[in-house]
Amino acid sequence: MQENESNAPPPGESGLYNRIAVLRAERGISRQTLADAVGVNYQTIGFLERGDYGPSLKLAFSIAAYFALPVEAIFSTKPFQPLSQQVYGTGKSKVPQKSEPDMEDSE
Amino acid sequence: MNAELYLLGRRIDMGARARRRGLVVVIYTVLAVLMAGFWFIDHWRVSLLYLYMAAMVVNSVFLGGTAFGGLIRPFRSKPRSPYAFKSPLLQNLRWGFYPVPELDENDYRNDERELRQRDHAHYQAYRVLIVGLGLLWCASIGVLSTHVPSVLGLLPAQQLLYGFIVALLVVSLTLPQAILLWSEPDMEEETAE
Repeated sequence: MQENESNAPPPGESGLYNRIAVLRAERGISRQTLADAVGVNYQTIGFLERGDYGPSLKLAFSIAAYFALPVEAIFSTKPFQPLSQQVYGTGKSKVPQKSEPDMEDSE
Repeated sequence: MNAELYLLGRRIDMGARARRRGLVVVIYTVLAVLMAGFWFIDHWRVSLLYLYMAAMVVNSVFLGGTAFGGLIRPFRSKPRSPYAFKSPLLQNLRWGFYPVPELDENDYRNDERELRQRDHAHYQAYRVLIVGLGLLWCASIGVLSTHVPSVLGLLPAQQLLYGFIVALLVVSLTLPQAILLWSEPDMEEETAE
């Protein structure tokens, strides 16, 4: 598990993981559209997606409101579980998966 | 920060960091050459004013930050006042001879990340200037308290001191913008999905 944790991509300079890129791709929204909706420059969306910039509370809540999701569904200080793992459970896989630190603690 | 520089009606893509760094190097090289040239003209007695004006032109056309031209959005992050003085001569110079794009809200408003970068750049510039002023103060003690006829047999020491003051003035006008242009990474396409 510890080994899987170390496989997680680094969160960037902000230390925050986020799902903005996934949500944007899923809904077919361009960076410019999202940027206009939340009132920032489109380049700032790129910095957010790469984790190079940690948003203010106001911006985080604006993004969450735009996607109609809770903030914790978009931003996290820990790596997100892959969607397939969330949907189909945590069955043993041959491919190393990123794990939730809570699970790690319970072991 | 804007990804494009409008120069005499032409759009120049400055999204790549290498290009912006090149621009900063060229600007400071030109300012240094100007400063050296002005010493030969009148030992910076009157030409200090020209150097100051050159720095303001560089800000207005290339760097930005203090005006509505250049790559960096105005540091004030506020729209132009409708009561601002509008010189007909300047308006003709800007809008008469070449097209200037219409300004919308995004052309003057910095978002929260840009404001943070702006503040950080000013902090870094402040540190550099503090070191410069400290060195200048130390040099002035040496120059003013003892009789130093010349440095390297060319430049009288007191004029060299005056030159440092001029250089610090020019640097203080342009350094935060230059730090921003130097440090911001490559900019992505606006239409990036």
